[in-house]
Amino acid sequence: MRLSDLLEFAWRVVRGAPGRALLTLLAMGIGVAAVVLVTSLGEGARLYVASQFGSLGTNLIIVLPGRSETAGAMPGVLVGKTSRDLTLEDALALKSSHAVRRLAPLIVGAGDIRVGARNREVPVLGSTAELMDIRSMEMARGHFLPAGDPRNSQPVCVLGAKVASEMFGSNAALGEWVRVGDRRFRVIGIMARQGESLGTNTDEIVIVPLAAAQALFNTEALFRVLVEAKSREQIADAKADAEEIIRLRHEGERDVTVITQDAVLATFDRILRALTLAVGSLAAISLAVAGILIMNVMLIAVTQRRREIGLLKALGATGQQIRLAFFTEAVLLALGGAIVGLIAGELGRSIVVQMYPAIPFQAPWWALLAAPATAVVTAVLFTVAPARRAAMLDPVQALSRR
Amino acid sequence: MIRLTGIARTFLVGGEEVHALRAVDLEIARGEYLSIMGPSGSGKSTLLNIIGLLDRPNAGTYELDARDVTALSDDELARVRREKIGFVFQFFHLVPRLTALQNIELPMVLAGIDPAERKRRLARLLAEYGLEGRAGHRPDQLSGGQCQRVAIARAMSMGPTVILADEPTGNLDRHTGQEVLNVLEQVHHNGGTVVIVTHDPEIGARSHRRLRVLDGAVVSDERD
Ligand SMILES: Nc1ncnc2c1ncn2[C@@H]1O[C@H](COP(=O)(O)OP(=O)(O)OP(=O)(O)O)[C@@H](O)[C@H]1O
Ligand SMILES: [Mg+2]
Repeated sequence: MRLSDLLEFAWRVVRGAPGRALLTLLAMGIGVAAVVLVTSLGEGARLYVASQFGSLGTNLIIVLPGRSETAGAMPGVLVGKTSRDLTLEDALALKSSHAVRRLAPLIVGAGDIRVGARNREVPVLGSTAELMDIRSMEMARGHFLPAGDPRNSQPVCVLGAKVASEMFGSNAALGEWVRVGDRRFRVIGIMARQGESLGTNTDEIVIVPLAAAQALFNTEALFRVLVEAKSREQIADAKADAEEIIRLRHEGERDVTVITQDAVLATFDRILRALTLAVGSLAAISLAVAGILIMNVMLIAVTQRRREIGLLKALGATGQQIRLAFFTEAVLLALGGAIVGLIAGELGRSIVVQMYPAIPFQAPWWALLAAPATAVVTAVLFTVAPARRAAMLDPVQALSRR
Repeated sequence: MIRLTGIARTFLVGGEEVHALRAVDLEIARGEYLSIMGPSGSGKSTLLNIIGLLDRPNAGTYELDARDVTALSDDELARVRREKIGFVFQFFHLVPRLTALQNIELPMVLAGIDPAERKRRLARLLAEYGLEGRAGHRPDQLSGGQCQRVAIARAMSMGPTVILADEPTGNLDRHTGQEVLNVLEQVHHNGGTVVIVTHDPEIGARSHRRLRVLDGAVVSDERD
């Protein structure tokens, strides 16, 4: 029997029983669509997290005061007590590492900002000019903090986009004076809208020079130091250097924690990949259900088409040809179901994308291959028993019963 | 051409042996027109099925075209059946979703004959069996006589050694039955070997050799 004849024969069988075909198509389609959709969600979450970390800055290393008990822990779950403050001098000393391109010490606090009668409380960030490049921030208007010795304070500030519009409305904020706490600052820049990035919304903050923040909050202690390594390859060197430099400055005590963005990202990446794979596999179970449905449908078909199978044998069909006809039919149904499922999954994905445009939902390539492949393989596996039964049918008995 | 020696077939029904055929010896030569008659349950269909390689005997040997086919595997039997046997059934057994043309084509499709050759043979078969206007019709759009003509054309499509017809007119009215019989006789006139199982004495009388089967044994074998 020729392949084209086999396909044509199976195609006529499928067309001859549209209800049956539709049912299996639906079951297979739902399974494939579920895999595509669920893995899209997982992959979207993974890419979202990756992009969020990316927006923090590239090749980033974060130096925190205090020693965490568990290596590689995430910023929010640090335990252990701060034995010694991390100071601006510590931060500047890190520049001696050949692996460090630039760094930005940070002090964070809350302060009241006032313009005339308007008054609100905002997070105040004290840092240096290099923060802008490290965090890949963009200005809407004006300039960022001026470069220069961070020990010197200038009375200037940069406003987040939302703070600027709330304090000044539609009036130009640039060049105006604002009061933060008990000090006055001139607005030299307004940041472009960036939105949320890992919990900090740069639209809602005020940035002042580090020395100003030290005076404002009356502290020498840094909240953390952001360090940018010269390249991806030098992240590890920069980390080791940072630990060593601070240890020497702190009389041999390892009392800071240095975390790399890569390590944190890799952890998230692993977790989310595993999660995607897990939920994708769960969704694939619905394909097994579809397989069982195909098996039942095929078994019924063997009974209904007893006479036809007997006839084919009388006309000289071998058992192999009968089995092949059933497998071809199953593969056609599975492929049809896979196409329906891929289309439905893609539709579902685009609906979710409409609802959450910020998250890059997209099915990973392996799911787009694995889902149809699983559909075909399950269909074939579950057709083994019905096809065998058909091939073993006794033609005399099959033909004699009316 | 066909030689059965000591062919026996028993069925087990509820633990009891039913002897459908007991030690049948039979020789059929090329070009014979043979009828098999006998009461219901005498073993006519069983004999035909064994000749047609659809069923296997429990004992005896069967030679087809000078080849012992008794011990062939199922797949080998299927291939021999495809090349040498043409079946015609009482209930036509056409595939309902296929057109007349596609039904006739089926044995050639199973044999893997190339489409151009199939097309040529189909044109000849349609003309020969008066089905030209019916090629695209499905079985439910055909009369009983037309269905049986399609079945005969299908049986002839591979140029078989023998045509085996089990009560081919049993499901047709008298007039249509005659028509179908004429078609089978035309096959015989063209040199084909035809074996018909029938209950109709008139059909038996028209054949050139008449076998009587009773309780699984051939009890008479008359020739003109
Ligand atoms: N598959 C089977 N299982 C059990 N018994 C069978 C089977 N096929 C035939 N028989 C028995 O074998 C005997 C011969 O049957 P067969 O069908 O050959 O008779 P027949 O001469 O064709 O009868 P009819 O004229 O009614 O068609 C009968 O007793 C029948 O019951
Ligand atoms: Mg019978």
